[in-house]
Amino acid sequence: MLEIKNLHASIAGKEILKGLNLTINEGEVHAIMGPNGAGKSTLSNVLTGHPAYTVTEGEIIFRGKNLLEMTPEVRAREGIFLSFQYPVEIPGVSIVNFMRTAVNEKRQHEGKEPLKATDFLKLMREKKALVGMDNKLTNRSVNEGFSGGEKKRNEIFQMAMLEPCLSILDETDSGLDIDALRIVAEGVNALKTPKTASIVITHYQRLLDYIVPDFVHVLANGKIVRTGGKELALELEANGYAFLNN
Amino acid sequence: MLNSSIQHITLSIGEKCELVFLNESDMDWHIVQEADSFLRVHILFLSENDVTAQWQSKLFVEQNGANCRTEIYAMGLLHDTQQAHLLTRVYHNIGGGYSSQILKFVLNDQTKGSFRGELKILPNAQQTEAHQTNRNILLSRQADMLTEPQLEIYADDVKASHGATTGQLDESALFYMQQRCISHDTAAKLLLEAFFNEVISTLSDEQQEQIRETIHRIL
Repeated sequence: MLEIKNLHASIAGKEILKGLNLTINEGEVHAIMGPNGAGKSTLSNVLTGHPAYTVTEGEIIFRGKNLLEMTPEVRAREGIFLSFQYPVEIPGVSIVNFMRTAVNEKRQHEGKEPLKATDFLKLMREKKALVGMDNKLTNRSVNEGFSGGEKKRNEIFQMAMLEPCLSILDETDSGLDIDALRIVAEGVNALKTPKTASIVITHYQRLLDYIVPDFVHVLANGKIVRTGGKELALELEANGYAFLNN
Repeated sequence: MLNSSIQHITLSIGEKCELVFLNESDMDWHIVQEADSFLRVHILFLSENDVTAQWQSKLFVEQNGANCRTEIYAMGLLHDTQQAHLLTRVYHNIGGGYSSQILKFVLNDQTKGSFRGELKILPNAQQTEAHQTNRNILLSRQADMLTEPQLEIYADDVKASHGATTGQLDESALFYMQQRCISHDTAAKLLLEAFFNEVISTLSDEQQEQIRETIHRIL
């Protein structure tokens, strides 16, 4: 599904990713861990096409297409979803209006008719139930005045609405208490299919108790320096990243 | 129209008045409020076709009786070489009154705008509450907005605030919306409509619909 080859990327002239390689197949969950400043968030920003980052070398092939040639919205419509570490508040834009626009722009890209109002509302109801999203929240402006947990749940709700093939969860656990974490993880697991894949970027092992990865990668100094199974996360939790200095 | 004369009106005790000025090119109004009166004024600059329009508007409101309420809402969505220049002068001469001003401008292309807001709370106007907010978004490097809030407060027991900002569209919000499949242009439109909502939502339903349609056509 996704193939990243020798990826170099920089922001404001500073190189952050320095030759990153990663291959992700359908049905797989990949965790990316690593110390602060290793390039974890840069990876999610580059995958989604954030304008502040420049790719200086390498390639990214997503479902047979050159991802780096696509605008951010086309990448999203092709099936890449980022659950933001810090979801943005958009005062005055209601979640309903936001999601209707998003779903219909994706459908148009796929050559489908816009959803009828009744079908759209039915889809909203269905997905709200799936991720345990409160009706009170969907009547408000996007993320405005939401608590940390509510923002993360809204991310997962949007993910359910857009049904991406590849979802990137960037520090989805930050700012969540254990109950909120469990609910968000259950939502993510409920959306998993043999055709989808996920990248879970996290500092801590605890999220991986709920979203169990097939592979764990350690990102350090702009490269993946170690790859293992889920047991690697436990080892990192116990021993930290001291091995990187050897 | 040159040398336009000043329109004077007085709101009598307890009177309510709502005025909407849409694309008035030389308005100059002086409104005196007596006690317990309510005034709401909308000043709107948005024309799709008159691409060289130059609007000058002056509004002077004096609260001469106790417990008056004044609400001023203004918006401009300027494109091509349009210009809009707005002066508001709100004087609280007597205490116990309330005034709020929300003024929002979006400037594209080579447009110019200015807002000067003179808000005065005189010594006799204790327990006045007065607010003024001016927010502007520049969509082009050639667009220019001058904003001059002027507060003069001569009474000590008052609640007053003012704020003026000029900036660009929120880049992080635009990227967030693009990550949700929404094109950059559509995202910008949603943000601009949201920006004006605070002004538009205080109009009648019929006027709201008309203004929203015009905004849609311009964007």
